[in-house]
Amino acid sequence: MSVEASPMAIPVSADRTRRGSLRLRLPKVSRSVLLSTLTVAVLLAGWAIVTERGWANELFLPKPQAVWAAFVKTMTKGYQGATLLQHLGASLYRILTAFTLACLIGIPLGVLMGVSRNARALLNPLIEFYRPLPPLGLYTLLVMWLGIGESSKLSLLFLAGLPGIVISTIQAVTSVDPVYVRAAQSLGATRRHLLFHVYLPAAGPLILAGMRISLGFTYTVLVAAEIVAASAGIGWMIWDAAKFLLSDVVIMGLIVLGLTGVVLDLMMRAIAKLLMPWA
Amino acid sequence: MTKRLIATLAFATLALTAAVRAEDKPAKVTVGYLNLVNAQLVTKHLGLLAKEMPGVDIKYVKIGGGGDMLRAIAGNDVDFGGLGNPPTAIGATRALPIKGILVINMLDYVESMVVRADKNITSLRDLKGKTVAAPFGSTTHYLLLQALKDEGVDPASMKILDLAPSDIAAAWLRGDIDAAWLWEPNLGKAVKNGGKILVTSGEMAKRGYPTWDIGVVMNAFAEKYPSYVDRFIKAECEGIEFWLKNPEKTAEIIAEELSLPIEDAERMMKGTGMIPCSQQLTEEYLGTSAKKGKFVDTLVATADFLVKQERLPKLLPRADFEAFIQPAYLEKATGR
Repeated sequence: MSVEASPMAIPVSADRTRRGSLRLRLPKVSRSVLLSTLTVAVLLAGWAIVTERGWANELFLPKPQAVWAAFVKTMTKGYQGATLLQHLGASLYRILTAFTLACLIGIPLGVLMGVSRNARALLNPLIEFYRPLPPLGLYTLLVMWLGIGESSKLSLLFLAGLPGIVISTIQAVTSVDPVYVRAAQSLGATRRHLLFHVYLPAAGPLILAGMRISLGFTYTVLVAAEIVAASAGIGWMIWDAAKFLLSDVVIMGLIVLGLTGVVLDLMMRAIAKLLMPWA
Repeated sequence: MTKRLIATLAFATLALTAAVRAEDKPAKVTVGYLNLVNAQLVTKHLGLLAKEMPGVDIKYVKIGGGGDMLRAIAGNDVDFGGLGNPPTAIGATRALPIKGILVINMLDYVESMVVRADKNITSLRDLKGKTVAAPFGSTTHYLLLQALKDEGVDPASMKILDLAPSDIAAAWLRGDIDAAWLWEPNLGKAVKNGGKILVTSGEMAKRGYPTWDIGVVMNAFAEKYPSYVDRFIKAECEGIEFWLKNPEKTAEIIAEELSLPIEDAERMMKGTGMIPCSQQLTEEYLGTSAKKGKFVDTLVATADFLVKQERLPKLLPRADFEAFIQPAYLEKATGR
């Protein structure tokens, strides 16, 4: 499979055009906010109606009030020895550490593979091979190698996040207009200049899009990572509550997890706007 | 358009119901069995269920522990299952559509707490500051907390980790944990690699905390195919009889099913209490339909404990646990 044909490029360009129009026509923003609110409201109303009417077994779909009560209780009294914020803190620490490591290693690796054909040929087999491996299969091995502590959890999250960043960075670097490079070179740019003043600024927006996708991948393996020998973390809380059929805690945990994901994504976009106003 | 759709749906429902009425034989029976040492392995190995249910596709699914079994039941993935008393108390409290119909086994030293021999742990008090593992929600997790409470040891003074038995064995070999309460066949792996037994589940039973596994059937299956519940019980009872009468052959079967040396299989078998079906209807176990036995007491005590651990929202009245235990099928199968 060629890197250029990677499916990761699709959401990226769509997102860029959307953000472009976002700045120009303000009224459209409030309209899309309105529509988004409508979606959430309809979903909540549907949930309330279905549970109030007794159409759903409460074991599988508890009432919104029950989920709220679980939220309040976990915030104040905690779930199995840790409050919701402590669980959230444990999970966010794992996610952000692993994600930062994935960026620190993935972006330089991607730039290298994007600029040098030889590097790409050398490293591509590794990335392409482990990328589709199911995380749980990988995890068994990580636990055997690294033990049941934090290092195996962080490694799993790291490995889940890495390929997304590498692949979109390669994609971003290879799609930099060669005219920019030649223009800079004709003005006497060194390799260092090329990297920091041509490749990175031009590829920045696409790399950022890759980082956002990669953060999503890190999130998807959180529960898997916290199944083995954790005693705190949102993923562990969801898993543990499921064992005791506490579906209100499970749903509450999923909502909290989803919301933190949205907030982190918004933060990344805000940082990007500050760093790359040209995007 | 909508009317036609409703009419079609109604017709389809009618046709389906009619089909079910006429059909008193299930196409497929799924048995979820726990990864333990008991006579269910014999029944499975000898194909006794297939003999009782000719023409039915029988599927055995191995399930790692009580938590997973509860999920399988909640997801309607099995027709018959097996549960230890803590998951049973959870399932009954959360109104899972199941009934307890058979004693699968009583747990003696087939479940034990193993500690690292070189760590100088001679009592539960020595566990302070150590790392202890148990599969949360299972019989052993329940006994661990119960034992700590009886000794007055604060569970917060040690690190208690939730690990599946197979993961405990792996973590033990790596030296990540100092103690664990789990069951065979993985218990033996820990004992062989620098472990010694500190407490057995049998000792806890003598202290008033018996643990056992009970065979359960999905309510919907039992209503639709009551005679097949009888057949299931008959097959399992035959397996138990075989276990009690042919210990040598049983050891061979267990050794083969779990890929163990024969001596290990023999030792594990002795740590498991198999109760002949005729005795299961006594006061000590299920009791009779008229007067339910001590299993109800254990369930109430277990549920009460789990409520205090904040694992269950509230303690149900005793009658609900009595309703869960259904000796009627066993009474019919043993001709009482």
